[in-house]
Amino acid sequence: MQFWQDSQFGDRMITLMAALVLVLQITMVTQRWLITNIRAFALQSFLLACIATTIAYYNAAPHIYIAAVFMLLVKVILLPFVFERLVRRIEIRREIEPLINAPISVIIAGLLTLLAYVVAESFHRPDEPMGPASLGHNTLAVAIALFLIGFFMMVNRRKALTQVLALLSLENGIFLAAISLTYGMPMIVEVGIFFDVLVGAMVLAILVYRIRETFDSMDVSRLSRLKG
Amino acid sequence: MTIIILLSIPLLACGLTALVRTRQWMETIHLVSACGSFAAAVFLAGEVLRQGSVSMGNGFLYADHLSALVAVLTSFVYLVCAPYAVGYFRRDMADKILAPTVDDAACLGKLRMYYTLTPLFGFCMFLVVVANNLGVMWIAVEGTTLASIFLVTFYGRPTSLEAAWKYAMIGGVGLSMALFGTVLTYYSAHQALGGDSVSALNWSVLVLQASHFDKTVMRLAFILILLGFGTKAGLAPMHTWKPDAYSEAPIPVAALMAAAVLNCAIYGLARFYVLTVLCLGPAFASNLLILFGLLSVGVAVPFILVQRSSRRLLAYSSIDHGGIMVLGLGFGGALGALGMLLHMTFHSVAKPLLFFCVGNAQQHTKSDSLQKGAGGLIHALPITAPILLLGALAVTGTPPFSMFQSEFMVLRAGFAGHYTRASIVLVACLVAIFCGFFHHVAQLVLGPPQAVPREVICKWKTYPVIGLSLLVIGMAFWLPAPVYQLVDGAARILAVPR
Repeated sequence: MQFWQDSQFGDRMITLMAALVLVLQITMVTQRWLITNIRAFALQSFLLACIATTIAYYNAAPHIYIAAVFMLLVKVILLPFVFERLVRRIEIRREIEPLINAPISVIIAGLLTLLAYVVAESFHRPDEPMGPASLGHNTLAVAIALFLIGFFMMVNRRKALTQVLALLSLENGIFLAAISLTYGMPMIVEVGIFFDVLVGAMVLAILVYRIRETFDSMDVSRLSRLKG
Repeated sequence: MTIIILLSIPLLACGLTALVRTRQWMETIHLVSACGSFAAAVFLAGEVLRQGSVSMGNGFLYADHLSALVAVLTSFVYLVCAPYAVGYFRRDMADKILAPTVDDAACLGKLRMYYTLTPLFGFCMFLVVVANNLGVMWIAVEGTTLASIFLVTFYGRPTSLEAAWKYAMIGGVGLSMALFGTVLTYYSAHQALGGDSVSALNWSVLVLQASHFDKTVMRLAFILILLGFGTKAGLAPMHTWKPDAYSEAPIPVAALMAAAVLNCAIYGLARFYVLTVLCLGPAFASNLLILFGLLSVGVAVPFILVQRSSRRLLAYSSIDHGGIMVLGLGFGGALGALGMLLHMTFHSVAKPLLFFCVGNAQQHTKSDSLQKGAGGLIHALPITAPILLLGALAVTGTPPFSMFQSEFMVLRAGFAGHYTRASIVLVACLVAIFCGFFHHVAQLVLGPPQAVPREVICKWKTYPVIGLSLLVIGMAFWLPAPVYQLVDGAARILAVPR
């Protein structure tokens, strides 16, 4: 038996990649340049596609391969490409201006990760040797952490495009939860979700463009005329 | 087969509208497709009444009494919006709001956007109610958001972009929570059902096994689902997108969102509610629903009392009614479920009526303000204005109108379920909302007259208003037996044995 056929090795690889995904998420919290942010998001999505492939390989679940391919096409190639073009087209010169500064943001992200571990702990079933619990304990915590930090990023940012990125990274968390808990959703649901993510991101990109054209800014704090 | 027809009519209409070149054809296709969808939904309801439930493609599409009821209500709102939209956009064109000149290419482009996206919007709503798979249901709910974002930005004003941005972001976050909830539901069912992946998210399969689900996971799942679909239904405190979107979207879109999307979101919530009650017992889900319901009704009170815009007034009224429906579901029992579904039915008739009246007034006076100087509509709009007053009475639950019955039923369910304090708070809020709402509408209709000429009657915009008002009056005294059977059957699905 080769070393990569050992499922222990697979577990470790998944945990390692999940840890990297979390690191990238925290990088995105502190990163001030929009282009770097987009690339961090693409890399994070690529790692998720790798995790999906690994899970598919060790659990002989072929339909996860399809999810991985979709992930690769939509979130690693297509959306970052569209976003980078958008950034160049609307000539964003300035960096991201978060509401809370970087050190405090990192502390908040750390606290959210801690919270995620507490929540994930309630799912842990040590008496079940097989199934998602054995594989997914760490991964699930990372998934919930991605979800929570994604939330935090949405609140913490003022530029429209960075909010879209935060929303997408939050969705990455759900993807990770889905593959680590249940080895993916049923095929049709998986495809539908990717379709929705793709259309949604396109719609939002168009909206960002129009906001920029109308307000001459992407700062969503200027969107404050409707009240009451 | 009827389900397929119901789904394919709006899709076909969307495709055809993209191809035709003249406004007349777009309007014709839209009207025909609206009638067709309504007919299909009624046929589906008939089939369900005869057979109990209808399913297609190995249970992929599934309709029981609950789905049939919501499908009929959705297609009804879609139907009444169609002729109104024709008149409404013709008036906009004449007023040169869509484009600087009448009937040029820019104008046609805008109309094409409306007439293609609205059927798509309708398709997503129909898919929500007939999808058996909860994942597909989520996809369809997200689809309704995506299809309607550009309908909110229809007029292209800076404020409509702002409204659409809030709608997209709050809706996006909310629905991602609902997706997480769906994933967790799948996980909690996963162990009970084994590895069968195709039907493992089908509601009709899950409901048989729900008592074996993992309880910790289901608890978290329901919270996320409630936050998610609650955002879509506009429950407080996730309601902030609603007044903005309703005041910026064209009137037919606002009516569709207020009366049809609300039903679809509550429908999704109700499906998960049944699973949760079967898994965890009624207390957990009921308490959460009552909390959010009361919060929504309570939040609506101050904003209705001091409101300055008639369309935002309607939005807060819709938040209030969403809250009442959720309260009915939360109070539970046969009575609560019946009250909630009757309320949904009556609301779907009364709310479009109010939106149409307000739309007529707004197009005539060029303002949706409720402040001083905006009043006396009864002199300028001799048909719309009295009906607006009637609609206001109906929607605030004044007897003899039918919403009084359904609100009363929800209250009775509250007292019967020993939720006395919640019921008393609800009564207080309803009274305050009645005062605020009626004050504003009475001021608008009967106040000192403005210097605007009398309206020229537009058939497209007036007949739907008259028809709906007759229906509102009729329903106060008589609900057709098949409709009641449908509501009753749907209530039996929601009234889970305790």
